[in-house]
Formats: sequence, structure tokens, C-alpha cells
Amino acid sequence: MTKTINITLKVWRQNGPQVKGRLETYHADNISTDMSFLEMLDVVNEQLTLSHREPIAFDHDCREGICGMCGAVVNGRPHGHQKGTTICQLHMRQFNDGDTIVVEPWRARAFPIIKDLAVDRSALDKIIQAGGYISANTGAAQDANNITVAQNIAEKAMDAAACIGCGACVAACPNASAMLFSGAKISHLALLPQGKPEAARRVTHMLRAMDELGFGNCSNERECEAECPKEISIVNIARMNREFIKAGFSSSVE
Amino acid sequence: MILDGKVPGGPLAQKWEKHRFDLKLVNPANKRKYKIIVVGTGLAGGSASASLAELGYEVKTFCIQDSPRRAHSIAAQGGINAAKNYPNDGDSIWRLFYDTIKGGDFRAREANVYRLAQVSNNIIDQCVAQGIPFARDYGGLLLNRSFGGAQVSRTFYARGQTGQQLLLGAYSALMRQVGMGRVTMYPRREMLDIVTINQKARGIVVRNIINGKIERHEADAVVLCTGGYGNVFFLSTNAMACNVSATYRCYKKGAFFANPCFTQIHPTCIPVHGDFQSKLTLMSESLRNDGRVWVPKDPKDKRPPTDIPESDRDYYLERKYPSFGNLVPRDVASRNSKVVCDEGKGVGETGLAVYLDFSDAIKRDGRETIEKKYGNLFAMYEKITADNPYETPMMIYPATHYTMGGLWVDYNLMSTIDGLFVLGEANFSDHGANRLGASALMQGLADGYFIIPYTIGGYLASSSFEKIDTAHPAFENSEMTARKQLDKLLSINGRRTVDDFHRDLGHIMWDYCGMSRNDDGLQKAQGMIQELRVEFWDNVLVPGKNEDFNQSLEKAGRVADFLEFAELMIIDALQRRESCGCHFNEAFQTEENEAKRDDKNYRHVAAWEFAGVDKSPVFHKEPLDFENVELSQRSYK
Amino acid sequence: MNWLTKTIGASIGKKLMMAITGLSFIGFLMAHLAGNLTIYGGKDAFNAYAQKLHTIGPVLKVAEIGLLVFAVVHVLTGVWLFYQNYNARPQKYAIKKSGGGRTVGSRTMPYTGLFLLVFVILHLSNFTFTDKSQTTIYEIVSSTFANPFYVMFYIIAMAVAAVHVSHGFWSAFQSLGLNHSKYMPIIMVLSIVFAVVVGVGFGFLPIYISFQA
Ligand SMILES: Cc1cc2nc3c(=O)[nH]c(=O)nc-3n(C[C@H](O)[C@H](O)[C@H](O)COP(=O)(O)OP(=O)(O)OC[C@H]3O[C@@H](n4cnc5c(N)ncnc54)[C@H](O)[C@@H]3O)c2cc1C
Ligand code: HEM
Ligand code: FES
Repeated sequence: MTKTINITLKVWRQNGPQVKGRLETYHADNISTDMSFLEMLDVVNEQLTLSHREPIAFDHDCREGICGMCGAVVNGRPHGHQKGTTICQLHMRQFNDGDTIVVEPWRARAFPIIKDLAVDRSALDKIIQAGGYISANTGAAQDANNITVAQNIAEKAMDAAACIGCGACVAACPNASAMLFSGAKISHLALLPQGKPEAARRVTHMLRAMDELGFGNCSNERECEAECPKEISIVNIARMNREFIKAGFSSSVE
Repeated sequence: MILDGKVPGGPLAQKWEKHRFDLKLVNPANKRKYKIIVVGTGLAGGSASASLAELGYEVKTFCIQDSPRRAHSIAAQGGINAAKNYPNDGDSIWRLFYDTIKGGDFRAREANVYRLAQVSNNIIDQCVAQGIPFARDYGGLLLNRSFGGAQVSRTFYARGQTGQQLLLGAYSALMRQVGMGRVTMYPRREMLDIVTINQKARGIVVRNIINGKIERHEADAVVLCTGGYGNVFFLSTNAMACNVSATYRCYKKGAFFANPCFTQIHPTCIPVHGDFQSKLTLMSESLRNDGRVWVPKDPKDKRPPTDIPESDRDYYLERKYPSFGNLVPRDVASRNSKVVCDEGKGVGETGLAVYLDFSDAIKRDGRETIEKKYGNLFAMYEKITADNPYETPMMIYPATHYTMGGLWVDYNLMSTIDGLFVLGEANFSDHGANRLGASALMQGLADGYFIIPYTIGGYLASSSFEKIDTAHPAFENSEMTARKQLDKLLSINGRRTVDDFHRDLGHIMWDYCGMSRNDDGLQKAQGMIQELRVEFWDNVLVPGKNEDFNQSLEKAGRVADFLEFAELMIIDALQRRESCGCHFNEAFQTEENEAKRDDKNYRHVAAWEFAGVDKSPVFHKEPLDFENVELSQRSYK
Repeated sequence: MNWLTKTIGASIGKKLMMAITGLSFIGFLMAHLAGNLTIYGGKDAFNAYAQKLHTIGPVLKVAEIGLLVFAVVHVLTGVWLFYQNYNARPQKYAIKKSGGGRTVGSRTMPYTGLFLLVFVILHLSNFTFTDKSQTTIYEIVSSTFANPFYVMFYIIAMAVAAVHVSHGFWSAFQSLGLNHSKYMPIIMVLSIVFAVVVGVGFGFLPIYISFQA
């Protein structure tokens, strides 16, 4: 049933990557519990705008949990505390009247802040550029059913491929590591027969890119898996480790 | 003016083959001398950028989001069609072609649709080669499902995330080219204008969303893949950044806009539940395979759905369309929901919803089976509404979903501006007056992977290009105009926010130019839009400055275009004196309340030419000749 | 050799080093614990065990040197990882809560590790690099544990070791890529079992000895 709540927000405001930021307090009254978290921020922004203050900048697009554009740390939890949920799908019924909610951007060396809650995640694209693909020029493909993939393998590949690239794993990781993101892509492609020819090169190059971009190392804290809105498993990190060790010691890739 | 679609001659099945042979080729060594701009990185733009770069062209690609992987194609759930006939159930290229053209209520160009069906199979091959994890059988072969009312199983899918997987495939191909330095990627850029020099598209002007810098980029051809304009309704299943601006600004520069009033309203979406709402969420069409749609027979019946006995329920789709039942095409299903809600039988707090009930399916197949099929959708529904669809029926209502209208293009996908190609949802080409499920993904990828690589070569090889640079006065002009508009928006300093105007516009469009239209309403809406537009330019409040990450300013520019474009939709709807597909004018209906086409007078594409903001656009038509299919009245009884 | 430094120097390579060295310490701990159990057999049994150990001479030397090298690798790599990880997030969160992935063990690895380093150095200087010509190892041990502070320190150190391996054990398997849905649950249980064995097994010894004395 619809009801309304009053909440206090502490939102990180920062004008650019170089300047200092701070938490600012706002009150949001009569918030319908049917609203999504971002709709609540829309309401706050409307009020800020009308009172000639700058609205809060935050990234978002699909608002249905699939594009991976949204993301903020809510009360210390990336995308908020609801399991398997992006912030655009987090609803205000998850909060209580009178709550104070602290909202911060993803924090990582590799994700410089653009403004307020919006960060630059182009490092994730760079990891993919380093090898997160199968080299198959358009037009060169054989008939689709010439390649068979056992159902359980296809399902596992799909589990990994479900990553939306939001960066919550990096935000959640105590070391700001992008291992779950990288592991998911590497697993997705390494599992499939189509991905095998390039597997060694892929994992080596992607991992090198990840390291160079300033992400931390994995210490198997499992926070990424716990916070991933698509609940991607660290089994994929293990698979990447395996692939990497294999590539490092038993392939000709350097 | 009568528009020429440049459809090649010869028998339907050989047209594309023959045309590919007739198109001039660019010498491989020369390809790298040509610069191509691609705007948009959805299925259309992503696949086009990658394929063109693979051929050797120098490609620059732009998108609004922070990464090309976030284009709205990512949200498509259901699947992608192809005429593989793997299930051996009677499918063929011809059948896919026929279903698509009939589904579009005979308002699309035959040759284009046939070509689409032809390349559909190559798309699946390409996607599998890229590693897209499509659903598979135990034996490891690809699985299909039936979708969107088709009577064969031809839809390939990757759980409920087909669009995501296909887009990530195109994105990875694109990233590969970026990594190799053959594509330069410009994310967080919004296209503000197309630059034409000597009647040819030669570049674009974009705004860097992070710092507000206006940038100029020149090229030998521009490929526009900027998606649909469903957000003219404010609430839609589209992402927040979906806009008409890119196509509309090309329209203002001379590209004709075709069939703008053809907008698809999808029947199964989560209903609106408050003024604060920012978007509507689609519940995949596949739900109608097992869910039964009903409302209480008596409008006064306010009992909870589980207390209403069978005898007091009206399964209106099954009643009216015994052979298709709950699986009638989208436009039919949507319109019928509206009808029963207008009769006061709607359910939920607002009365604007109908039930989609799984209790029979759960009884028949067991909860586990249903969970396997739709678990993720049920979970999503519960997250948004806090209702558990295993126990109580879902509530659904139609919502704007897809726009069949778009920039007019010929068989080569080139607009009326030379060198401006338009792909994917941004063009008008293949879906006529109504799009069938799982065919937009197919079209986007067909355009990008398999059509533009040939047709753009033909254009480049047969045109001559003078050397230009971005200091050219045409760039100067475009930038000036864009800057002026941005400054104007920032200086009005009125009392209403951008969203406030957008919401108002959405209400007008939904009420008068939505599922059901009539002349009075459309005329009234036109006046209201004009007034709203005047008020916007007088009273909008856009905070901040241009040289900043200013999301209000971004939105303001888009809404400004919607406010002009909405009127074009109304004009188009008024002009079409018939009902067809999604365009239902109450004055033109059969005795059974179905859309009644007027093939004699309206078997054409309406293409509009810009004449000035407050001037009537100029009407042009492209007559549609059906040489291979017989025009029939769609019937799903 | 470029490929080797590149492989080992990569983030996964470093973890590989941690895992191999860590697992070998675990192996060492098991052997060490098994040997130490002879204490319960009394003074002679324990001294005999120590004697026996030294008769295998060169093998023991190799093992000792191996352990030393591994220890250097484990410590240096651990510190390096810690430094890089700390730097990967220059601006910390105002509020950060766990989503349920971390454990006491995982969040304290660098600290428990450093504590263990201090302990190991003390431990070696007390028992290994000490003059044993005038006395037996049993006497050294029992005189050391006559001091209650030392007993306390030793017990705490063993608790810390237990915490370190409670994460380290399964984590090493994960780092090596050995995560399989059939076996991982067993490894997770073994992690805890091993931690308890280390903590109780080693931790009880000083208490036992101090009571004996
Ligand atoms: C919820 C949902 C579910 C769907 N399910 C299905 C389905 O199951 N099967 C099916 O076939 N179809 C489905 N569709 C339709 C289909 O997804 C889309 O029609 C199709 O993906 C559009 O692709 P596109 O490449 O043309 O555009 P988009 O994917 O929308 O991409 C547009 C691109 O253009 C860029 N852009 C836009 N404007 C500008 C600008 N001004 N400047 C710079 N860049 C710009 C954007 O950044 C983006 O990169 C669904 C649609 C929705 C909304
Ligand atoms: C008896 C002694 C020790 C044992 C049995 C041991 C065991 C282990 C094991 C098995 C791991 C897991 C490796 C992995 O995750 O792949 C580990 C990690 C670690 N060890 Fe030790 N270790 C010991 C001593 C030390 C010492 C002396 C230090 C000193 C710095 C140390 C620091 C670390 C650190 C920092 C990690 C975490 C590395 C990371 O995940 O980033 N350890 N240890
Ligand atoms: S806005 Fe797309 S995932 Fe949240």
C-alpha cells in the first residue's frame, strides 16, 4: 500500500574531479514509498531547482536495472542494501519514516568523480578494449548451429554475461578491484567454444589493462559478489585466475 | 513531391543480391581515406561502427551515455527473430517477410522488409560467432520460442536479456575496433546539429556533456542511429535519455520525417502509480503465453481479484478473439485494455489496469515451471509493485514502447539529405504501422551489420568530395545556432522546471495521440502543444551554466525539440484519414471495432518536410506498391 | 624471463605467489603441529622428536631455506598488495558497510599477517636460533612458558594465526582458480576446521607445558 515517509538525505556534492567535496543535508518530505530511489532524487532535484540551487548530478538511464548507468553508495552499500538490486530499482518502501540516508559516489582511483554522484567509468571500457571480445569480423560467420554448446555451459556463460558494467563491484571492493567485472567477461568468453582460440591472449591483455588502470588487487573478500546487482559469482574470478595461470605458464602469449 | 524509394528492379527475392552487385565498390586501399561519423551505439550504431571499421573506413562514433554499452537496446527482453526454421515448423524467409509486412498493416516497403527477412539468418550466425549466449537445448543446439503472436517459433533469446546480450556483442566488436585505433569513440556527447555543405551531410556539431564544450566533427558521411522518440509521451518504456533531438534537428536541416504518428503502445507494462513516476517498465510480452488477461464483469466489483469467481470475470481477449486469445498483436491487445478501462472495469488504485493472471498456468504446470520461465520477470514485478504475482494476478496497462516513424530513408537507408544515412529505430523503414515482437533487434542489426556496409560504399564510390575542415562557415553556423539555443534556455529563468513541462506534454500526447485518436482530440491537442511551447520558452527554469555537467540543460534541449515534434505527430495523425496498425482513428473502424484501412487513398508513407517552427510542414508521399503480397484485413478472431 | 616477471607481477600473479607460499605454510603448520603433539608424550618423546628431526639434516636445511624464501616472498608480496590496495581508493567512504562478503579473517589479513611476522621472528629467536648445547629443547620450551606473559603472547599469536588461515585457507584455493561448486563448500568448512585446529592445537601447548612445569 502506498504511504509516505519523511527522510533526511546526506548527499555528496563535488563540483569536479579536482575540487574538494562534502556531504550536504537535504530533507525530503512526503516521499511515496512506491517511488524508486532515483525518483526520490528527482523530487529533491525539482525542489532544489525551484529554490534556485543546483540539482544533484547523478547518472541513470534505463531505470530498470539493465543499462548499468546508475549507481551510488547508499548508507555504505553500493546500490543500497536490497540484494540483487540496482539503485534505480531500489524502492523507498525499503526505508522507514525518519531515516537518515547517506549517498556517496562510487569511490576508486580508477573512477574519478565528474560531479556529485556521477563518476567516470571509462576504465571499464578500456578493459574490454584490451580483449573483451571474440575477433569475428562481420560476414565471416558459419551457420549458427554448426557450433554446439552444451546447455549447462551456455547457462554458465550467460550467468557471467549478465554483468551490466555498473561498477558496483569496484565500489564495494575494499581494494577497489575490478576482478568481478573482468572475471565475468573473461569467463563468459572462455566458456564458449567460440572464445577459446583467443582465450590466452584475452585474459593476459585484459588483466594487464586492469592493473594499469589503477584498480586494486583481489583479496577474495567477496564483497563484490555480495553487492553485485546481477548476483554474479566469484566462481568467475576463479575461472579468470585459472585462465591467467594457464596463459602465463603454458601458452605462448607474453 | 512523390518520393522515390529507389527500390531496385527484378523479382523480390533477387533485388538485394542484384543491388549489391550494382553498387559501386570503394577500393580497399582507399577506404581509410574516408571518414564516417556514426551517431549512436545501440544495436544499429554499434554494429555499423564495428562493421565499417572492419572494412577499413575511419570511423568516429558518438553516444550520450558514459559508455557505448548503455544504449537503450540493452533493455530489450524478449528476443530476436530469424527465419532459420530450426524447429522445422514451416518458417521461411518468405513467411517472416509476410508476417512482418502484414503485422505492420501493409504500411511498409516490401523490398526493405524482404531484405530484412533475408539477412535475419546471417545476424544469428554473426551473433553466435561473437559469443552471444543464446538459449540452447540439451544437445547444444539453439532454441527458439514463439513470440509476439507468431505462429512459428522463430525467436532466438538469451533469457529475458536478449537485447543486452546482442548489444554487448556489437559493443565488443566496437571495442575491438576502438582498441585497434580504427574507431575513435566519443561518449557523453550529444549531437546538436548536422552540418551540410553543398547539399551533402559533412559533419556534426556535438556538446560534450561533461564540460559543455561544443565540438565540431567533419566526415564524408554521417550515419544516424539514435533510436526512437517514445519519450515524447514523457512516460514510456524508453530510457531517460531517449530523444527525438538528433533526428529532429536533421529534419530541420532538410531530412524528411516519415509517419511520425506511428507509435507503438505495448500492452503489458506495469501501470502508472503516481505523478512522481519517471518511467514505465515493460513486462515481457512472453507473459501472455501463459497469463490470462481479465477484468471484473461488473465495474462496481471492487473485491480483491482472488475473491472474484470465474463467472464474474471477463476474459475479454479470449472472448473477442477466440483463435488468438491472449496472443493477439500488441496494438489489438492494447486498444482492448483501454476499451475495458474506459468502460470503468479497470482495476487497481487508478482504475487504469487489467489483470494478467497466472493462477491457471500455475495450476496446470506447477509453480516451478512458471518460475523457470518467468522468475526474473516476477521478481522484477514484485520489486516495483510489492505484489507477489504467484499469489495475486499481475496488474498491467499499455505504455508507449516503440516508434515506427522516423526519418525517411530510401532502399539504401539514405535520407533526403545526401550522405545522411539513418539506421535502426531512428528510421521509418521496416515496420509499417505496427511492429511485431522481436523484429526491432533484427532490424537494428540488419541495418548495421549487413546493409550499411554495402550501401555506404556505393554512395562514397559514386560521389565526389571536396576537402573541407571544421572552420567552414556551415560549421560556424551550426555551432552558433546551437549556442544561441543553449544560452536562451539558460537565460529564461522562469518558474517551471523542464520535467514539469515534459510531463504536461506527455499527458497531452497520451490523452489525444495515444492508443485511440479522433479529430477533435487531435485538433485540441495541437492547440495545447502550441500554448505549452510558448509557455516553455517564456517560463522554463534551467539552472546552472553551459560549461558544466548540467543535466537540466541537456533535458531542456530535448524537451524543446519534443515540443515542436509533438505537433508534427498530431499533423501526421490528422492527415492520415484511415486507421492502420497502431494508428487508430475512431472515425475509421470496422463493425468489430478494428482498424479500418483505406488502401485506395492511404497506401503510402507520409513524409514531412520542415518549413519553419510555426509553419505547416510540407507533405510528401511515397506510394507503397505491393506486388508480392495481397493486402488483407488483419483478423485475429 | 620477461614473461615470467610479467606473469608473476600481474595482480593475479602476485596472488598466485601468496597462495603457493601460504599453502606451503599451511603444510608446514600441519607438520609442525603433528611434531609438537609429541609434547603430550612427555619430555623424552619431545626431545627424541627434535633429535630425529635433526638427523634428516640436509633435507631439513633445504626445507628451512625454502620456508625462509617463501616467507620473504609472502611477506614482501603481502605488503606490496596491501600498499597497492590501499592506494586504489584515495578518497575513503564516509560510511562503508559490508554486504556480507567479508569475514574477520579477510578484513584483517595484512594486520594478522604482520603480527605473525613479529611472532615468527620472536619464536625463531627463542626456540630455533638459541644455544642448545647446554640444554634440551624441552627445557627451553618449558622455561619460556614458565613466564605467564609469554604464554599469553603465544596464545594470542595462535589465535591470530587461526584468524589468518580461516580466510587464507580457502582464499588460496580461490586464488589458484580452484573454485568448483562441488568442492568449494567443503573447502570453506575445512578452512574453519583448520583454523580451529591451529588455534587450539598450538594454543593449548603452552598452557599444558606451563602446568607441567
Ligand atoms: C523495454 C524494451 C524492450 C524491448 N524488447 C524488444 C524485443 O524483445 N525484441 C525486439 O526486437 N525489440 C525490442 N525492443 C525494441 C528495440 O530494443 C529497439 O527498437 C532497438 O534496440 C533500437 O536500437 P537502436 O540502435 O536503433 O537505438 P538505441 O539502442 O536506442 O540507441 C540509440 C543510441 O543513440 C544515441 N543517441 C541518441 N540521441 C543522441 C544524440 N542526440 N546525440 C548523440 N547520441 C545520441 C544513444 O546514446 C544510443 O547510443 C524493446 C524496446 C524496449 C524499450
Ligand atoms: C604461519 C604463517 C602464515 C600462514 C600459514 C599464511 C597463510 C596465508 C594464506 C594461505 C594466504 C592466502 C593467500 C591467497 O589469498 O591466495 C595468506 C594471505 C596473506 N598473508 Fe599470510 N600466512 C602466514 C604468515 C603471514 C605473514 C608473516 C604475513 C606478513 C605480512 C602475511 C601476510 C598475508 C597477507 C597480507 C595476505 C593477504 C594477501 C591478499 O589477499 O591480498 N601472512 N596467508
Ligand atoms: S538506470 Fe539503468 S541500471 Fe539503473
